[in-house]
Amino acid sequence: MKCKRCKALAAVALPSHHTGFCPECFLKYFADQVERGAHKHKLFDHSDKILVALSGGKDSLALMQVLTDLEYDVTGLHIDLGIGESSEAARGFVTAFCEKRGLPFHVLSTAHYGLAIPDVKAAVRRPICSVCGKIKRYYFNKFAHENGFTALATGHNLDDETARLFANTLRWDARYLGSQGPMLPGEGKFVRKVKPLYRLTEFETAAYCFLRKVEHGKAACPYSGGATFTGHKRLMGGLERVSPGMKIQFYEGFLRDGRPAFQAACKEGTDALVECAKCGYPSMSETCGVCRTRGMVAEKTAGR
Amino acid sequence: MITVHLEPGNETLTFPKINTAQQLLNKLSLGQTDALIIRGDELLTPDRRIHYGDEITVRTVISRG
Ligand code: SF4
Ligand SMILES: [Zn+2]
Ligand SMILES: [Zn+2]
Repeated sequence: MKCKRCKALAAVALPSHHTGFCPECFLKYFADQVERGAHKHKLFDHSDKILVALSGGKDSLALMQVLTDLEYDVTGLHIDLGIGESSEAARGFVTAFCEKRGLPFHVLSTAHYGLAIPDVKAAVRRPICSVCGKIKRYYFNKFAHENGFTALATGHNLDDETARLFANTLRWDARYLGSQGPMLPGEGKFVRKVKPLYRLTEFETAAYCFLRKVEHGKAACPYSGGATFTGHKRLMGGLERVSPGMKIQFYEGFLRDGRPAFQAACKEGTDALVECAKCGYPSMSETCGVCRTRGMVAEKTAGR
Repeated sequence: MITVHLEPGNETLTFPKINTAQQLLNKLSLGQTDALIIRGDELLTPDRRIHYGDEITVRTVISRG
């Protein structure tokens, strides 16, 4: 197979685009997709101060690399969840990556706020991933807001996004469908959230990391059951094999034709937020979920 | 003999003969975009030939968690 652009030997075949690229042209294609998405949905521009959530996995590090190459103003934030060796390894990948390239980054440990994830797991009854996700989103946003960042970027890719869209559609979850997309505008203490890799697949971010020499973690979190989303991704993968290009069409089609209707339908629900009595961040009830969780962990550890 | 390392999981398999990267994907029941096929510092597209004595890494790309 030959590269579509320069006719050299191809390294990456992309059935959904009926094409293939050599290493150099693939890196260019990857960066072009990021720019195209950023432009199309007005994710950010060169005046933005962007905080990139770095988990240590391929997507977040690819994101940091490509935004750096495109000369955006980026700073990394890694949240150390305190999950033993798994978190140590993740932190190691982030640190090595940023130090090697001289990129600015910060590390925030949830244990420092009384929220080491193993302690949280022992103290709450809900599935740990939903609580952990909430804690991560809370601290990413808080850090971004308090340090003057104008956008918060995460490494969600096209497979993550279509799997989530598919799950939300199966439940006809109007509230989630109304707010899903590559850009969630900032409001009050919420910093704008963006997903610059939403046009790129997991395969493409993995190939990008390999070709751009980005060393990343590959092990899954010991708490990830992974069942539903992995299953959804497989299903979407099967559909994509039959009709190449289906994933991006499903997603962009939703943004264009589906989402506006859901947005209109759930407008009323959004102003129900109040300030958390403990931390002052937006909350559905008097005390926000993260502050409540912290209270539960403190109680549990005091009783030990 | 062809040696194949599977990531993640660090499993190693050997095959007496595989002609192409596509055949390797088939043997592992993987789709074209489910995994990177790595030989040395190269990525192989499915049509590339695999030779006797090759060491290949198959890196599955689905991320969990
Ligand atoms: S798998 Fe669950 S517990 Fe582990 S990092 Fe992800 S959300 Fe947190
Ligand atoms: Zn080329
Ligand atoms: Zn609070």
